Amino acid sequence: MKMADGTTIIRRNKSGTKAKDFSRWPDEPLEEMDSTLAVQQYIQQLIKNDPSKVEHILTMPLGQEEGVWKYEHLRQFCMELNGLAVRLQKTCFPSTCTQMTATEQWIFLCAAHKTPKECAAIDYTRHTLDGAASLLNSNKYFPSRVSIKESSVAKLGSVCRRVYRIFSHAYFHHRRVFDEFETDTYLCNRFTYFVTKYELMSKENLIVPMNIEENAIPGESEA
Amino acid sequence: MKPISPRNIDYPRPGSYGRGSSPDLDFVYSDADLYDNEISELYSYTEHVEFQLNVKAFEDQMETYDLPPNWQKLTPDNRKSIIFKLLDQLDVAQRDIRMRSARCILYLAQGCWAEIQSDQEQEQHTKDNIKLLYKLGVFASFVELLNLEIRSSSVVQDASVPKPHEVSLSDSTDLRVILSVLYIITETIRTEYEAGQCQEYVDIYQAFQKEVNVPYDEELLTVKLLGMTTRFCSGTAPHFPIKKVLLLLWKVSLLSMGGMSSLRDLKNEYREKNNLDRLKEDTIEITRQMRSSSPPATAADILESQNQKEGRRIAFRRCTNEAFIEEQMDLESQTGMVPNSNNGEAEDDLNDYFRNCNVLPLPEQQENQQPFHNNSMLPWQPKVRQKDLEQFLEISRSKFIGYTLVNDLNTLAGLPEPIHEGYKILKNHMYTSLADVQIKLEENIARNPLTTNEGDIPQTSAEILYQAILPNLPQYMIALLKVLLAASPTSKSKTESINIMSDVLPKEIPLTEMASTKLEIDVNRHKEIIVKAVSGTLLLYLKHFKINHIYQFEFMSQHLVFANCIPLVLKFFNQNITDYVTSKNNIPLLDFPSCVLGDQTNLTSENLVFGDNASFSWRNMFSCINLLRILNKLIKWKHSRVMMLVVFKSAPILKKALKVRHAMMQLYVLKLLKMQTKYLGRQWRKTNMKTISAIYSKVRHRLNDDWAFGNDLESRPWDFQAEECTLRTCVDRFNNRRYPEATLKCQSAMNTQVQEAVNQGDDLQTDNINNNDNGLSLGGNLCMGNSGGDENDADHVRNCGCNGIWLDIKVELTDDFKANYEMWLDEEVSGTPIDWDILIKDFAQPIN
Repeated sequence: MKMADGTTIIRRNKSGTKAKDFSRWPDEPLEEMDSTLAVQQYIQQLIKNDPSKVEHILTMPLGQEEGVWKYEHLRQFCMELNGLAVRLQKTCFPSTCTQMTATEQWIFLCAAHKTPKECAAIDYTRHTLDGAASLLNSNKYFPSRVSIKESSVAKLGSVCRRVYRIFSHAYFHHRRVFDEFETDTYLCNRFTYFVTKYELMSKENLIVPMNIEENAIPGESEA
Repeated sequence: MKPISPRNIDYPRPGSYGRGSSPDLDFVYSDADLYDNEISELYSYTEHVEFQLNVKAFEDQMETYDLPPNWQKLTPDNRKSIIFKLLDQLDVAQRDIRMRSARCILYLAQGCWAEIQSDQEQEQHTKDNIKLLYKLGVFASFVELLNLEIRSSSVVQDASVPKPHEVSLSDSTDLRVILSVLYIITETIRTEYEAGQCQEYVDIYQAFQKEVNVPYDEELLTVKLLGMTTRFCSGTAPHFPIKKVLLLLWKVSLLSMGGMSSLRDLKNEYREKNNLDRLKEDTIEITRQMRSSSPPATAADILESQNQKEGRRIAFRRCTNEAFIEEQMDLESQTGMVPNSNNGEAEDDLNDYFRNCNVLPLPEQQENQQPFHNNSMLPWQPKVRQKDLEQFLEISRSKFIGYTLVNDLNTLAGLPEPIHEGYKILKNHMYTSLADVQIKLEENIARNPLTTNEGDIPQTSAEILYQAILPNLPQYMIALLKVLLAASPTSKSKTESINIMSDVLPKEIPLTEMASTKLEIDVNRHKEIIVKAVSGTLLLYLKHFKINHIYQFEFMSQHLVFANCIPLVLKFFNQNITDYVTSKNNIPLLDFPSCVLGDQTNLTSENLVFGDNASFSWRNMFSCINLLRILNKLIKWKHSRVMMLVVFKSAPILKKALKVRHAMMQLYVLKLLKMQTKYLGRQWRKTNMKTISAIYSKVRHRLNDDWAFGNDLESRPWDFQAEECTLRTCVDRFNNRRYPEATLKCQSAMNTQVQEAVNQGDDLQTDNINNNDNGLSLGGNLCMGNSGGDENDADHVRNCGCNGIWLDIKVELTDDFKANYEMWLDEEVSGTPIDWDILIKDFAQPIN
């Protein structure tokens, strides 16, 4: 908010806002964001401007706590992944994809249950996203969004591993949906870049082909 | 900088002194044994074949990655990447693939021993790998894996739970891999932090401590492990590898709450917060400098040396009547307290004691001075409770001025000069414990619930643990004690319900003599390790709860008492304890890592003991001291429980324990003897003057406490029940106020569990610590002085303990019953003739 020039910008989608005007407010520099949610706001702003500038989006501003930065990004990934989940619901059914698989013969267990089970792929997707959301919103592990304990940051790794399987399943089993989604959002691209940059997963496990190097040059990207 | 491993630290080792000059055991009590011992105790010898499976898993896994199976040659990035891949694989549904990855990680945690030659190297690699594993979140993933394994194995076996004795080592393979990884990570981080050589580990320790104090998946790790123990004992999961579960429980608790040094710091911190002085004496430090008394020979010993075996019992009867104890000891010259030996006459002992006591400097004068450095002084400063001072003033006032002033500890008007002096001395030694302050606050809150504000309860690790275990605390205590009972060397293997051997015994029982010797050692070692872990855990919990809040401590200890902890510990000591502490149930060649490093030699009877030169068994000394300390904690200041010591005839058992020449252990035995001395009768005192002198010289004095000769008014035998009930009321009020929900859960769970506790108690009873007919019941005529006889008293004490639980159970009457109450009264009560005389007859019988 800026009071100096007399006008106040309210960065909020009021009820009745048209789709084309959604989230259309001017950018604000990070230093001037006066809120506990500044990092999230900043990240969303970068994505809104150009989702293809993956490296730019993931460049950590100076003076930013790395734990918070990783946490907010992962939060954002999970939020956007819901979009992929919604699209998947139209093609991925428990009757067709009975198990969570990618290329290999491995079937993954759905960790959201007291006794981990072999859920169908779409259920795995939903459960994992729900589980991630409840972990990331948990008051116990993440009581603050301004500073995050080292021991909680350690929890992000396992979320990444599980969430990534949604991408790989979509890529290998529902390629059309994946491509559509990826062209719009560059989400898998950004995720791959994210886990590589912060060493949250092994490169060999990132089985969806991505050309990170190509993306590392700003402005040049193709899904 | 090369971190120094604990083995380089100069611990006193047996043989460092000549045996003649000091026969004391140079056992040093601490939180845990040396790192390498703690690690090797994790594995039983029968598990050895499985070590090779770990290398195999690693080699197979590396083959799939097209990498040579050599961890040391990989770059740090490569290693990281591999661990990530292994973690990914842990989520896979196919069990064999999942477990292969778990085994790989176990192999890394074991320090990649196939690639190296020496055990130092192995230890170093473990430390390096653990750092990496922890940072990449392996611990949390393994806790999840543990969850999965606990639950899925129970699903499979719901249909047919195997009988406990049918379970063998092979039923727990996967669980053992998981628990081993968790244990190695925990213990390595803990010891590296204690060693303090590596800043990185200090940071890891702090993060880890936070991690284990936060629930994983809605449950603390400690609670999960306690739950596993309970399930194991209830027979629904007999395949759980109980030793590893208990070891992990102990180490995780030690890490999350802290050991001796943090206990001391916390106590001082809490005392300062409550405006109390810091502690001036450290029990552990002082006992380290004490020397042991030479053991009082029991009648049986002397007899044994006189006439081996033949006519033993007859001779025993003859001898107990003669006071031949004079020959026994050389205590005076040992302690240095009474320089001129005086043939052990009681009066002289007393004179010496008082003379020494008078020259004791006041506390102000010896602020920074270790009291025991000067040999002519007593090791401890005397303490006085406020209650003692009140009593003293009350008696003096009613004697000299004819009336009493309640709640006035200052007015001395009208009292003669000697009383003033006595008052001054008492005042100087006044000690207010943390418990006193907490009890007072609790009373205040009960009286003025609205105006007294307790403030926020600090979420210390002990507080978190208490809140988490409160709903099931009674069951947990029973489970731990059941395992302890099953692991005690004196227990007969008739307890069908649990089989603690399921994680040592292989499917096929070995045939060769060598192999069965090995197995026998393995089984005994296994039991000893279980006792060590359980006793360590219980003591740690008691100590932490005690400083955190006295009623948390009282709640736990009351449940231990209800579950018959006191007779159990006594039963444990009713064995040849010197043999127990010097037992050698170890085969050094088979200990990890020696068993996998270098050339493997075949085990022969010659090299069975090769490399073992300790004169005592660390873990057994540790367990004994823990158990004695637990007993002390439970009994101190509790009359009803002191009487349990008396009715269970603990005196001869404890006296046997004095034979172990270790000052700290003797101190705790002497304390237990001191509490009950006045109930043991003149005869006992007469024949045990040396023991009484040892108590004088070693145990702290309470001024005005006539512990040895007093006729205590408080000891009316039928007040026991009242005493436990009063305590219980206070504890319940505390729990209800602070933790209403958890308490409710606890009570409802207890209603179903009480029966079990009582039954278990019967087990203990029938295992007779009372009727030991091996001729050692020296305290033959213990002076309970009243009619019932010892058996009845034992029953009584037990019943009043258990009745305490029943009193609290609310009985809900049905509406139907309420409506027709009068009819019930007519039919069941008024309508039935009752012959009250029968009651009197029954009552009269046991007396005659």
